[in-house]
Amino acid sequence: MGQITLDKVTKRFGEVEVIPPLDLEIGDGEFTVFVGPSGCGKSTLLRLIAGLEDVSGGQIRIDGRDATETPPARRGLAMVFQSYALYPHMSVRKNIAFPMKMAGVPEDEQKRRIEGAAKALNLTDYLDRRPGQLSGGQRQRVAIGRAIVREPAAFLFDEPLSNLDAALRVGMRLEISELHERLKTTMIYVTHDQVEAMTMADKIVVLRAGHVEQVGSPLELYRSPRNLFVAGFIGSPKMNFIEGEEAGRHDARTIGIRPEHVSVDPSGPWSGVVAVSEHLGSDTFLHIHETGLCDVMTVRAGGELDVHHGDRVRLSPDLSKLHRFDGQGLRIA
Amino acid sequence: MATQHSRAAARVMISPAVILLLGWMLIPLGMTLYFSFLRYNLLMPGANPFVGWENYSYFLSDPAFQTAIVNTLLLVLGVLLITVVGGVLIALLLDQPMWGQGIVRILVIAPFFVMPTVSALVWKNMFMNPVNGLFAHLFQALGLAPFDFLAQAPLASIIGIVSWQWLPFATLILLTAMQSLDSEQLEAAEMDGASPLARFFHIVLPHLARAITVVILIQTIFLLSVFAEILVTTNGGPGTASTNLTYLVYAESLLRFDVGTGSAGGVVAIILANIVAIFLMRMIGKNLDA
Amino acid sequence: MARAVTPRRKAINTALAWGIGILIFFPILWTILTSFKTEAQAIADPPLFLNFDWTLENYVTVQERSNYFRHFWNSVVISVGSTLIGLLIAVPAAWAMAFVPGRRTKDVLMWMLSTKMLPPVGVLVPIYLIFRDTGLLDSRIGLVIVLTLINLPIIVWMLYTYFREIPGEILEAARMDGAGLRSEILYVLTPMAVPGIASTLLLNIILAWNEAFWTLNLTAANAAPLTAFIASYSSPEGLFYAKLSAASTMAIAPILIMGWFSQKQLVRGLTFGAVK
Ligand SMILES: Nc1ncnc2c1ncn2[C@@H]1O[C@H](COP(=O)(O)OP(=O)(O)O)[C@@H](O)[C@H]1O
Ligand SMILES: [Mg+2]
Repeated sequence: MGQITLDKVTKRFGEVEVIPPLDLEIGDGEFTVFVGPSGCGKSTLLRLIAGLEDVSGGQIRIDGRDATETPPARRGLAMVFQSYALYPHMSVRKNIAFPMKMAGVPEDEQKRRIEGAAKALNLTDYLDRRPGQLSGGQRQRVAIGRAIVREPAAFLFDEPLSNLDAALRVGMRLEISELHERLKTTMIYVTHDQVEAMTMADKIVVLRAGHVEQVGSPLELYRSPRNLFVAGFIGSPKMNFIEGEEAGRHDARTIGIRPEHVSVDPSGPWSGVVAVSEHLGSDTFLHIHETGLCDVMTVRAGGELDVHHGDRVRLSPDLSKLHRFDGQGLRIA
Repeated sequence: MATQHSRAAARVMISPAVILLLGWMLIPLGMTLYFSFLRYNLLMPGANPFVGWENYSYFLSDPAFQTAIVNTLLLVLGVLLITVVGGVLIALLLDQPMWGQGIVRILVIAPFFVMPTVSALVWKNMFMNPVNGLFAHLFQALGLAPFDFLAQAPLASIIGIVSWQWLPFATLILLTAMQSLDSEQLEAAEMDGASPLARFFHIVLPHLARAITVVILIQTIFLLSVFAEILVTTNGGPGTASTNLTYLVYAESLLRFDVGTGSAGGVVAIILANIVAIFLMRMIGKNLDA
Repeated sequence: MARAVTPRRKAINTALAWGIGILIFFPILWTILTSFKTEAQAIADPPLFLNFDWTLENYVTVQERSNYFRHFWNSVVISVGSTLIGLLIAVPAAWAMAFVPGRRTKDVLMWMLSTKMLPPVGVLVPIYLIFRDTGLLDSRIGLVIVLTLINLPIIVWMLYTYFREIPGEILEAARMDGAGLRSEILYVLTPMAVPGIASTLLLNIILAWNEAFWTLNLTAANAAPLTAFIASYSSPEGLFYAKLSAASTMAIAPILIMGWFSQKQLVRGLTFGAVK
């Protein structure tokens, strides 16, 4: 079981309110991602759930029981830190065994679980090495192994992939997703990378300055962002925002259209000059100036489109995919 | 995450160290200050009357005091000059690719671990002795007249001995600092057309500035208190030619048993050391925040 | 990363560096060599380098005439004793300052350091008088007390800089893993702190072994450690170079060996972490 409820949870550091009263429900077995720009309070929120920080107000319930005052060790949660936080003086085996040793798990059971975790994480050959002798990806796996063997009610990850290089990051992303499929345990995953959020989450919580901006599945957030912030944060490349006359024509202060919903079309209503075209093979991203609508419009076009710097093109938006926002930046349904 | 409980525990853990150091600092310091205003000689028991600034005026007007101040400054500055310049040059050399770097490093560092009395006596007898010393043999072989270092140039000789002891310290610290210099910076400067000399003055030396300051300040603290080297070589002489402030205070207090004057001298020494200490503490404090 | 240089350049570097290294080391080398000569050979003109009859007689004489090992033992007791007591006091203090830093921790640290800047001669008279009146003059206990106090700030500082490098996330991980305060200290903190404590121990034994202000002023025949014993060679009778060398060699050998092992810690310890 691993159902976590935050009820008006507040956190202040001295005078600074980092997390204003916040309500959140995390269902059992869910993969929840906290996403938001750096410094928005994601780590703080995670550490409040872990019990590494004391709340300034409100209540944290785990599986219905009040855990606000419970010390971290007895919340039944496991955490994977950004720096991995492996014990440098212990072998991989001892690192993984440590939480079980603390919990008084019998030796043979410890051995069984270590072997299981090592097999699942491809660590069998490295069990007797020290963390210092491992690569970044391997250390990451040891940290995950140390979390798994506790059989926790929920896993907490704080930007676990940010110290890995790009290729490894994609691989570990898949491994963590597979792990979730296999264990079906609640996971809370913190990242500032919206790609990680979109690809891994059952549920995304978008945070800004300690506020929850929107909660929903990746596709909900993609299809109906509640406000300009979420619209701009989710999706890559970023949504194009257009204000002024063109927005007024759609009864909105601001309209948004994603790059993938604008196409190059000789009969389109908009036009502009190509500043840069990025040919990726599968897609072509055009950065277009002089549209008279916004500074730069990004357009995702077909892969083998032959346009270059300085070409004038006509563009056509898919009006059914247009997002409209009012003066407060809120979505107009 | 410090709770009330852990704060209280922390205070208990820190207090023995604080109380001991506080006692060590305040009690003797208070006594020194107190004695410095008394007429107090261990050879003349009896009342120790309060005499105001008499000890200070006596100590400060003693010609030996002026000599001692000059000697102290010469000793400190001389050793600093030799060790810092020598240290930079040797560190620069040791930072180059070579065979057996580790062994050379060990050879260079060794004098630092030799106790002051040993190094002073070895230099005094086996090198500087005008009859049997190696220098005497060397001078003779070159057809020069023997030179009695400790009699004819006592302060310079002591500066030489103390420099030999401290050169390793300067070298080691400067070498450590030099090795933390990002080699890409030097390569960038090379690409920009900077000559080796220009690279040294514009990149290496500024990078070392901090370490050099630390070396200067820390050595100054220790060099102000040079004692054993003088005691076993010249006893401050001939006359007061190699007496520094520390030795002078020692002589007043424990050779002439004039506690009052010795204490006044001690207070002067403390004031002098504090001037340096303030600068050093500022540097270290800044580093603590980083 | 050292860049590849021409072998010629490397050879020049090597020759130059070895030359300077040997020059600096020479007085020590000469002392060691002389300790194996007879007194006559020690002052031979021209000086003998390796072509003499090696003898151990000086070592025997030094011990027989002046009970050398008594002074050696004094040095051991005083340096090791003061270091161990210092650690006993400093470990909890540094620990608390590193892991439960308060608003005034930094001030306390800086103040402790400032006591180290006190010139010893400034408190010579009172300490001498206190020792005279309490019977601590020329006693090992007295020296242990003084050396503990003068090195305490360095010990606290070194330990503090080591402890501070232990990352907080690891302690948090241990807490998440279910370790209580006792297990946290026993299984996680202590193993990670031991190397720092060992380096501190080593450096402070060296400093205390070579301390030559208080040991010279507060001891006479009885408790004199090697620094003070060697100083008695400053007013020699007859030929004594070989014996001085033998006594000196034994006095510096153990520290030289320890010192070579603690080069890295030396920089950190003597600069109070200002240079690493
Ligand atoms: N221990 C602390 N003391 C004071 N301020 C803190 C502390 N920890 C975090 N903060 C502040 O809280 C805000 C949120 O930090 P954090 O949760 O680490 O952000 P994120 O993980 O989203 O990048 C930041 O502005 C940070 O400066
Ligand atoms: Mg964070």
